[in-house]
Amino acid sequence: MNSKKSTAYNNRLGIKGWVYAGKYTFERYLYLAHRLTGMGLIAYMLLHILETANRMRGVVAWEGLMGLFALPLFKMIEYALFAAAVFHALNGVRLLMTELGFFLGRPKEPVYPYSSSIKRHRPLTYIIMALASLIIILGGSSLFFP
Amino acid sequence: MRETRLWSWHLLVIPIIIVLLGLHFAIMHYAPVFYGVSVEEARNFETMIERGKSVSQLVLYILLLAAALYHGLYGLRGIIRELPMTPALGKIVDITVICVGLFIFAFGTYVTWWTFSYPVGG
Amino acid sequence: MSDKTTTPREITFRVRRFDPDVDTAPHWSEYRQHVHDGMTVLEALHQLKAEQEPTLSWRSSCRMGVCGSCGMFVNDLPQLACQTQVLHLGTDVVTIAPLPNYDNVKDLVPDLAPLIEKHAAVKPYIIYLDQIEIDSPTGEFIQTPDQREEFSQFTHCIKCGLCLAACPTVATDPLFLGPQALAQAYRYTADNRDCGMKERISAIDIFHGPYQCHLAGACSQACPKGVDPAFGIQLLKRALVLDSIGFGKKKPSVAKIMPLADVVKAIEEFAPPPRTV
Ligand code: HEM
Ligand code: HEM
Ligand code: HEM
Ligand code: SF4
Ligand code: FES
Repeated sequence: MNSKKSTAYNNRLGIKGWVYAGKYTFERYLYLAHRLTGMGLIAYMLLHILETANRMRGVVAWEGLMGLFALPLFKMIEYALFAAAVFHALNGVRLLMTELGFFLGRPKEPVYPYSSSIKRHRPLTYIIMALASLIIILGGSSLFFP
Repeated sequence: MRETRLWSWHLLVIPIIIVLLGLHFAIMHYAPVFYGVSVEEARNFETMIERGKSVSQLVLYILLLAAALYHGLYGLRGIIRELPMTPALGKIVDITVICVGLFIFAFGTYVTWWTFSYPVGG
Repeated sequence: MSDKTTTPREITFRVRRFDPDVDTAPHWSEYRQHVHDGMTVLEALHQLKAEQEPTLSWRSSCRMGVCGSCGMFVNDLPQLACQTQVLHLGTDVVTIAPLPNYDNVKDLVPDLAPLIEKHAAVKPYIIYLDQIEIDSPTGEFIQTPDQREEFSQFTHCIKCGLCLAACPTVATDPLFLGPQALAQAYRYTADNRDCGMKERISAIDIFHGPYQCHLAGACSQACPKGVDPAFGIQLLKRALVLDSIGFGKKKPSVAKIMPLADVVKAIEEFAPPPRTV
């Protein structure tokens, strides 16, 4: 006989379950993007508060820093931050409303083909994503070509 | 505390963030559009100090600081605590996040206050 | 015409195998077999077991989407094996794995015990505070069709656990109550006969409760009964927020009761039509 004690295999997906949205719905991808942009924003904000504190070290330190941030690399980072903030804010407004139960319709008997709160508010989702894309593109053009 | 209270604040501060962060971006990125000065000008030392000397700037920055910190750190704490951990470790995460939040808030407030009380002409 | 979804043909089944007495990790085995139009994944497994692989294990019972036993990860989505037709999947290779986010007991068998424990934790029954009325009822509870409509959808849950397999939060957080239990918490608090919000708060108004739902919507996509658990969770959030600021649903401390005398009258009023044979 085999001596291995019979134990179940842990089939929990772990972080892969956050990151890999596979064949799930569009909103499942938005969840991932919202989480990534949220983490990016809070990381940026903490650094930003330390970085803008450089003003206390006087004009020279401040202007040096701003000179650095005027470099193309930092312009790109700044644009990424802007895009992240716009996406997070607009998708956040959608979540703010839907997580409080608005725009989801009313509960109803499940009859084939099933409808769902996610599908019912999808037009709103698409409008908001279109708006976010528009702002990100327009914002980018005025950022790069003032 | 009921989690509902903590989460309600996570959402309640959102309108504040939208308005103030929108304003912040307008000042920093769209200065040419809204204020008729170049982006570089908007970010140079004198303009920054000048801005910072108004009471409204002082109040609004501290408000943005508080609102965005609460919202962002509550979100971050949620993400961290969704990882598998014992309830004791969960408590430690909560306490750490609160301490970081309070420290950054105090520091940011101090910096804003420093700008506000910057001696004129020097 | 060769319609991929109806043409009977040979299909390759990639099945994830795991024997806890021998293996430390799962591995994949491939089988080829003929599939006819209308054949479900469950039927295909039965045929496989009968003709090729007698040791293959899975759990199923009703074979008609009612018992909630046969949830599997078919072609990378949680589905009921008995409600999924092989040819409708539209692929020539069909992968079948046990549901993610549960312990894998053997081959395709997940350990659904956590699902049931979380379900029990939210007190999934009507809580009625007037014990005297419970012990010696003086009448029947009144519930209008509209009041029933409020939660009716959520009563269709068969505890198959597909929603937890789809949920990204369950993927890391073993303590998260999950879509199934949270939707059931809403189903009962939304019931006009229930006065249990106060008693449930200690179980649901916690970190691992509804606020770890970020509306990814995967649970509602996976649910084979159209329960839409994500919807239940968002409504639960709203109910909890309103309750926490004192605007909870105004419920009489006891649900309205129809006195027995009236019940008798109502029965007479709504009597069935006279017999014709
Ligand atoms: C500008 C307006 C903003 C809106 C409308 C907004 C909206 C939201 C909403 C509704 C959530 C909850 C989503 C959920 O259930 O998980 C959320 C989560 C979050 N937000 Fe924001 N937010 C905004 C700005 C910010 C800022 C400035 C930061 C960083 C300082 C931030 C960081 C986060 C983080 C870290 C999360 C948690 C994400 C997760 O759990 O996946 N947000 N936001
Ligand atoms: C790339 C975009 C950004 C630029 C160029 C920028 C620039 C600045 C500058 C120059 C200051 C100094 C104060 C002033 O000049 O008025 C400042 C302060 C501040 N910024 Fe930003 N910022 C950006 C994005 C953000 C974001 C995304 C947040 C929030 C998540 C934020 C939050 C703050 C706060 C709270 C302060 C006050 C800091 C303190 O009190 O010490 N900023 N920012
Ligand atoms: C010794 C004889 C029988 C035994 C031991 C037996 C046993 C059972 C058992 C164990 C079940 C499942 C019960 C459940 O679902 O909880 C069942 C269901 C059923 N039996 Fe029998 N049975 C017998 C005879 C019969 C006969 C004679 C009929 C019909 C004339 C019948 C009709 C049914 C039906 C229709 C069901 C399904 C009920 C349902 O949907 O729950 N059975 N029987
Ligand atoms: S809510 Fe749907 S997917 Fe979840 S256990 Fe119930 S029936 Fe299954
Ligand atoms: S066997 Fe009962 S639900 Fe599939």
